[in-house]
Amino acid sequence: MSSAKTTLHRRRFLKTALSVGVAAVAAPTIIPSSALGRDGAVAPSERITVGGIGIGNRGTYDLGCFLEQPDVQFLAVADVKQARRDAVKKIADEHHGNQDCDTYRDFRELLGRDDIDAVLIATGPNWHATAAMYAARAGKDMYCEKPCTKNIAQSLNLVDTMRRTGRVFQVGTQRRNLPHFAFACELARTGKLGKLKRVYAHPAGMSALMSGWLPAESTPDPKVVDWNMYLGPASWRPYNEKLLDGFNFEKGGGLVGGGVLEWGSHCVDLCQWAVDADGQAPVEYDPPANKQIVARYANGVELIFREEGWMPLGSCPVRFEGETGWVETGDSGKLVLSSPELLAGREVAEIGGYPATFHVRDFLDCVKTRSQPKGNAEAACFAHIACHATNIALALNRSLKYDLAKHEFVGDEQANRLRSEALREPWQI
Amino acid sequence: MTIQMQLVRVLAVSLPLLAISAATADELFNTNEAELIEVLKTGQPAEKAIACKKLAVFGTKDSVSLLAPLLEDEQLASWARIALEAIDDSAADAALRDSLAKTKGNLSIGSINSLGVRGDDAAVPLMAEALATGIKSNDAELVDAAAWALGQTGGEQAIGALRSAIKNEKGAVRNAAALGLVLAAEDLLAAGKADEAATLYDEARAADVPKQRKLEATRGAILARGDAGIPLLVEQLRSDDKKFLQLGLGTARELAGAKVAETLVKELETAPADRAALLIYALADRRDAVEAPAILAAAVSDDDSMQLAAIRLLARADDASHVDALLQTAADDNADVALAAATALAEMPGDRVNGHLVELVPTAKGKKLAILLNLVGKRRIDAIDALTSSLNDADAGVRHAALAALGATVSAEQLPLLVKQCLTAHDPSDAAVAWRALKAASVRMPDRDACAAELAKAIANASPAAQAQIVDILGAVGGGNALQAMGNAMNDGEDQVLDAGTRALGNWMEVDAAPLLLDLAKNAKGEKYQVRALRSYIRLARQFKMSEAERAEMCAAALEAAQRDDERELVFAVLERYPNAESLRVAKAAAKQPKLRERAARVAEAIEHGSPGN
Repeated sequence: MSSAKTTLHRRRFLKTALSVGVAAVAAPTIIPSSALGRDGAVAPSERITVGGIGIGNRGTYDLGCFLEQPDVQFLAVADVKQARRDAVKKIADEHHGNQDCDTYRDFRELLGRDDIDAVLIATGPNWHATAAMYAARAGKDMYCEKPCTKNIAQSLNLVDTMRRTGRVFQVGTQRRNLPHFAFACELARTGKLGKLKRVYAHPAGMSALMSGWLPAESTPDPKVVDWNMYLGPASWRPYNEKLLDGFNFEKGGGLVGGGVLEWGSHCVDLCQWAVDADGQAPVEYDPPANKQIVARYANGVELIFREEGWMPLGSCPVRFEGETGWVETGDSGKLVLSSPELLAGREVAEIGGYPATFHVRDFLDCVKTRSQPKGNAEAACFAHIACHATNIALALNRSLKYDLAKHEFVGDEQANRLRSEALREPWQI
Repeated sequence: MTIQMQLVRVLAVSLPLLAISAATADELFNTNEAELIEVLKTGQPAEKAIACKKLAVFGTKDSVSLLAPLLEDEQLASWARIALEAIDDSAADAALRDSLAKTKGNLSIGSINSLGVRGDDAAVPLMAEALATGIKSNDAELVDAAAWALGQTGGEQAIGALRSAIKNEKGAVRNAAALGLVLAAEDLLAAGKADEAATLYDEARAADVPKQRKLEATRGAILARGDAGIPLLVEQLRSDDKKFLQLGLGTARELAGAKVAETLVKELETAPADRAALLIYALADRRDAVEAPAILAAAVSDDDSMQLAAIRLLARADDASHVDALLQTAADDNADVALAAATALAEMPGDRVNGHLVELVPTAKGKKLAILLNLVGKRRIDAIDALTSSLNDADAGVRHAALAALGATVSAEQLPLLVKQCLTAHDPSDAAVAWRALKAASVRMPDRDACAAELAKAIANASPAAQAQIVDILGAVGGGNALQAMGNAMNDGEDQVLDAGTRALGNWMEVDAAPLLLDLAKNAKGEKYQVRALRSYIRLARQFKMSEAERAEMCAAALEAAQRDDERELVFAVLERYPNAESLRVAKAAAKQPKLRERAARVAEAIEHGSPGN
């Protein structure tokens, strides 16, 4: 054995960390008129050809956001379920007014097409990271739904792979491209709240979850539901219809993930942005106490998960508190500020309902410019590490310290063992 | 404890986890290796699977001999590898290596993958052998796995096997070998062995491999060389192949050093417009200081893609020449470009920008003046004289910009100036802008009670329409004074004042509006406003933090005030949402009223027994 198992294969990650930061100024969110033809349509050479992988409920919403962009041409869908393949083909063909959307059971066939620039990955969380790595190796840019990794090792691998392959990656954290969340994060990040003390995230429950093995049922015809491909990188178990809920199946490593990962990949992601921690994560994690989980960044800022005590501002609320002010916001689109002075003359558009349209546009613009989108791989990596580490502290029910340089828990072998998990054969990332 | 007793305990722990379930930490990990080993010996496959998962946490070399046979089990092999990949003992490596002689197909691939994850140097000969076997048998998946594992593990022998394979006649083999070589090169580069890494990247780049492998190798070859990689970078930036151009644009952002920015600027001289725009975006994403007339020229060019890219770059630094170029662009006929430039100007860092903008105001006219005044507002520059002198400008755009800027910048002492503009505006469009400005100014006042007092003064002599506007603003301001002023205005006010006031109270963010709302619910002129007020009152009870007793009291009062079943139902929903003794008391009291008896009894039942009440 070449190295202790407490060392992740992270050498490339550590050394290739970007020397050049992400631009502070937002990318344009418009298509230059020079890219338009005489009829206002986007010239074929300017179009981005897209394929979909695993397009269920959420994916169908995302697909709608892609299709409303004039420079998108959706060419193919891959899904293990025939009903979904058929449904997506119908949507795409009706939108484009043709019969050109091809369907695949195995996403690798879709990735093998040279005429597809980018993919939308909206499988269940079990597949997100693995499909993303295969897409990167195939040279596709990608918009991948969250949570996009199952454990810490996959999170590091994700950013490493996207850099190595030169891909544009956007995780489906669409709130980064909504004005009220962006403004709240900006207030915290730029010191308008004074020295930042606490950031609050809303988990969807604080239980660890584990997927298991239900009684065997008759396995369907693979043409209808390909159970083997559905399991993919998850360990084998017999077919049971209840496990076909991809949303809840195998979300994360040794632990399914629970609410900390499910909502955390949104709320913690925003907190990370507020703390200006897209390249870092908290270094201390406490187990639950008083209906809260507290983690701490190296600079002392506390990341607090709590289910209660929120203002009525809709789902996915976040709150940032500094020494001189605070801000709270949520999916209603409304902002509540400790002082109206914090608005500083700004008019923040109130967009409720967390639409992904702006996030998709950000991704498409970056596909063209090769800039980093708001939900880029590095931001996703560290937000997910924060969630996974919190889940591990939750599962082990003890305080943990995390070494960001080595990406390992300090003096806790059991916690370190939960940083990664073997994939079912033949899958590897 | 007997073994049988232990097993019963193990199963009691394991069985709840066979399904997707929420679990406490104790349920998940209240076990030990000995218990889990017993499950491996005697359990059913489902139990063994979960035991493997837990052995990833608890397993030691003592578990390895029982996990090893599972590597030959198609159903349990990957479960076993979950444990074996995690166990920090050479016995786990040995078990994985030994399995290669006993397995084939996917099972063998799984073990190779795990050896690659563990970076097992001792397994390199077996990985190389697997690669040779895969090549010979045309097993593409075995080739992929072996090449990946060799690349992951690295070292002279592994690289040698990959170097040999990249010359293979089969394209799929060359592809897999190139991936492995790039992985090995990445490790070398990370270890500071840039020259060795560059050699491997070059070999992969030169081979007959798919474009994506060449792209990865080219990126690495540039980064490994640093400044010496710039010629290769330029080659990509000039490529006619879209993928290589994209690779160059991405790598130009990654490669450190001032020479990269210089190179990008130089490339602008000869690049066509669409490519130049992409180069400017790359420059904008780097942190280097860029002084280039070409960027300024791009901002005011005829090509909107160039303009948008230049705007992004120019917005980074508070240079006067940048401000001038952006101002010119902000007046562009293309609305999207103009908006992008104006937004950039509003968000540019630095006080020097503010000073430069104010200097330009006295000589500006028309559209340019309106842009400047808008920026004064958005940047919150203290320039009250410049703004007030523009309030009577003949150009409506200028007047509106000045009013909006006043809204963004006036102090509390200057608020009457804005109130006056609202009450005396002759032009309806001026009035509309003035009211918006007054609202913007009012909601940002640090002392909201003082602000509300100032606004309240204006109500006395205002028209009903203006009173409604002020009441709406008071609602946005919030606080005790605002609430009192709103109450007074609605008490004496016309229909439109009541309309504005009850709407504003529907969005009130504090519980202190409850008494006023309850009073309006009972006494407001017009059923419409009574109902609206009552619903807002119930909203406070539903959404806001308060003691159980206070919430119950509000619910009781709302039930008493409600004239319709719709509002009563909203109250019952609040009681069900907060099931406690106080809510139960209110529900039971309501159940004594004949018209509420049945529904209230169901609510009480739900609170007492936790069942749905409706």
